[in-house]
Amino acid sequence: MDEKTRTRVGGPEDPRQGLEAVVALRRTLEALEAAQVENAFVAGWSWAQIAEVMGVSKQAVHKKHAKRIRDRYPGEPPRRKGKGE
Amino acid sequence: MIFNRFAKETRRCVVAAVEEARMLGHDSIGDEDLLLGILRADEGVAAEALSSLGVTLEWARKESEGMLSDALSSGGISWEEMRRAAGDAFEMRIPDYRKIPFSPKAKKVLERALREAVRLRDNQLGTEHVLLGILRNEDGTAIRMLARLGLSPQMLEDRLYELRGRAAS
Repeated sequence: MDEKTRTRVGGPEDPRQGLEAVVALRRTLEALEAAQVENAFVAGWSWAQIAEVMGVSKQAVHKKHAKRIRDRYPGEPPRRKGKGE
Repeated sequence: MIFNRFAKETRRCVVAAVEEARMLGHDSIGDEDLLLGILRADEGVAAEALSSLGVTLEWARKESEGMLSDALSSGGISWEEMRRAAGDAFEMRIPDYRKIPFSPKAKKVLERALREAVRLRDNQLGTEHVLLGILRNEDGTAIRMLARLGLSPQMLEDRLYELRGRAAS
């Protein structure tokens, strides 16, 4: 598509395209964060360890992710759980 | 609000739209999600008009995902690669406990749908009015998706009236 070669995100040429890229990135970032926190949890990391790497408080990580992950992995505490690999 | 004038089928489609948005990771319900809702839950002329022109739920989901991927690649980011790197845990789905608001565009569609119902002297807001609302929303995402299938708002509107006329007679 020649539209893509003409404009670049961050450039002032096409604000709509730039803003749409931001939305796409925000949505993908949420999914990515959820996946990577889950990966760490499955690998046996504590909330404190996860929080430290992410540069936020343990409470913040817990509040955002604990419910979803615990729903997916009933039976605590977190233990290594290979997905058939 | 205007929800009490919704036909039963319209309510079902709005619920389906929220579920589609959730599944696709849309953190607000867009006008394209209303289209997805119709494709998923409608059994009336709106869904019939769409399917008769080749618009299917599977296509719309893919197209929506494709638009997200395109938006990222315009910024030099590969959605596919990020997804691969994150592994099996990656999913765009938004958890059930998180509320998803209607976007201004989707609200506009529903308001316009109500106006269409009034204009056509129908006493309930049906799914065909929602589809008309989507088609009248010129800067909407749904219209852009449909354009990629070679469909103009006019083509869909014509088909809708055609089917409506047939259903009424």
